[in-house]
Amino acid sequence: MTRRWLRWLPAALVPAVLTAAALAGSYQAGAAVSLPQKSAAEIIAMIGHSDVRALSGTLRQASELGLPQLPSAGPAPSARLGDGQGLAAVIELLGTPHTARIYLDGPSKARFQILDRLAERDMVRNGNDLWLYNSADNSAAHVTLPDAHAPADNHPKTATPGATTPEALAQRFLAAVDPSTEVTVGDATIVAGRTAYQLVLTPRSTATLVDSVTLAVDSASGLPLGIHLRARGQGDPAFSLEFSDISLSAPDSSVFTFTPPPGASVEEKTIPSKAPDTKHAVPGTRPSAARPVVTGKGWDTVVGFPAGMLPADVRSAPAFAQLTQAVPGGRALTSSLVTVLVLDDGRVFAGLVPLERLQAAAAPQ
Amino acid sequence: MAARPQAAGPGPAAPAPAATGGRSGSWALMASELSVLFRRLRTWAMLAALAAVPILIATAVRLSSPVPPGRGPTFLDRISQNGLFVGMTALLVSVPLFLPLTVGVVAGDTIAGEANLGTLRYLLVAPAGRVRLLLIKYAAAAVFCLTATVTVAAVGALAGVALFPVGPVTLLSGDTIDAGESLLRSLLIAAYIAVSLLGLAAIGLAISTFTDIPVGAMAATVVLSVVSQVADNLPQLEWLHPWLFSHYWLDFADLLRQPISWTSFGENALLQGGYILAAGAIAYGRFTSKDVLS
Repeated sequence: MTRRWLRWLPAALVPAVLTAAALAGSYQAGAAVSLPQKSAAEIIAMIGHSDVRALSGTLRQASELGLPQLPSAGPAPSARLGDGQGLAAVIELLGTPHTARIYLDGPSKARFQILDRLAERDMVRNGNDLWLYNSADNSAAHVTLPDAHAPADNHPKTATPGATTPEALAQRFLAAVDPSTEVTVGDATIVAGRTAYQLVLTPRSTATLVDSVTLAVDSASGLPLGIHLRARGQGDPAFSLEFSDISLSAPDSSVFTFTPPPGASVEEKTIPSKAPDTKHAVPGTRPSAARPVVTGKGWDTVVGFPAGMLPADVRSAPAFAQLTQAVPGGRALTSSLVTVLVLDDGRVFAGLVPLERLQAAAAPQ
Repeated sequence: MAARPQAAGPGPAAPAPAATGGRSGSWALMASELSVLFRRLRTWAMLAALAAVPILIATAVRLSSPVPPGRGPTFLDRISQNGLFVGMTALLVSVPLFLPLTVGVVAGDTIAGEANLGTLRYLLVAPAGRVRLLLIKYAAAAVFCLTATVTVAAVGALAGVALFPVGPVTLLSGDTIDAGESLLRSLLIAAYIAVSLLGLAAIGLAISTFTDIPVGAMAATVVLSVVSQVADNLPQLEWLHPWLFSHYWLDFADLLRQPISWTSFGENALLQGGYILAAGAIAYGRFTSKDVLS
């Protein structure tokens, strides 16, 4: 009889061992790493000195923004951004998890692939040619980039709205470091198999929705490998973007050659005279004579846009009604990190603060 | 149905060495198992039904007006320009139900079918025969997984070549590859899906050891595959998704990217391996401890 029970032993042990092994594998990322001590300033300097010009890697993005789910979750029907559809596309890009691959070789060659299920959105830059391709509807768009751009402006990430890498996001936050923020060095960690320092930015203000921003910086190259944005009162990061694997060698040059496939609809686009706007909080906002009003400072900043800056088609887009909720005097988009208030008179207020502060900023005018 | 008693029923006819448990005996038993499987009318009927999927798709697209992009299953709009997409579309359509259905029938029948026919005890006359019989039954089910997938891919390629022009294939990344490389990718996709089905086959084998009624084991296996896919689509069960054996089934599209993304292939293989080990352990526990009376 005992022998019969012994035969059931594997049936009990094997699943337990497999589960334990799988869980141990996923917790290994949090294992302690010992690296030489560095100050926050040294780590920021490391980023500045980073001279990574070529890489290929896979990015994973996850969001817990608390946004309402759009029914048309999935790849946007086209690469167009900036019209009514752009809002839904940007929300889809930031609000749902994604895997993307990035290939860089020097300042003028880049490829960015958003890997959707059974579909893919591509951005290929080779010299002055920028191609956008969406496999869902087999459409391509071609943009000829002007030569005049400074190398920094030439960076593909600023030329493609919505395309965010750890570098682009982190630079924006580091520029904002001032007395409003406490910068500390966190425990060293492992990202994409590489040891990394962690830089933690904690707002001193308690009025903002942001709890902390954590930046992982490769200990060898100074390349930012990942960023986590935490919101107040939320366990999981509200937004995280990090490499799941990365190689710092130059990718094969064939990666950067793109010819639109036969049968694809190709659209020639001309680049606007000004660099495309990359503010994803308010897509479609165009620079105009009226200047935005800024109230508060640091993390509490509320930006108020005068009436007329928000294109009418954004308000009439179906996604707008689904994403926002009615509040006195207008509609508001609330998420765990960003709040946007669109008033009936056309003014728009946005900030990393709760809705009440936006309403307070809107009131006196 | 009548094939079993002839092939292996009255005690292993060919495997005289099988009684000693030698390697040649295992091979003989495997060969006999495969010949029984592929001499069954039912197996051929299932393969024919699978082959009908690409033929149906190709004929329907051929006879109808062009499909606009973004409607119907992915790749459907590409077929009229390139016949090589017939196989890929057919695989995509077959993955959620048709392939699991046929694999469920074969895997659910493995042990329960023999028990039901009363032939199981003849197969177990050899010492230490039970583990080997489980392994051989599972190997035969795995061969069927590959055969079923390759059937869909191959018939799809043939139907596509017969009815549509063949040319460079557009990948999801927008790059194009020539026809030869696209055939290679089709084979890779068939291999990916065959691997995807191995976990389900192991589950079917485990369920099959618990009953003497093959239809019950088949139905339970197919139902499990549907439940797994439904659970995979519920956002409320997001924590469970990476553990579901059907989680990576549709990620074979990663083989249609340029460069190929092997991540999902590896993760899928790892997951299926885990299911094979777990379900295999359960099958071992049940089959080696049960009283075989029929």
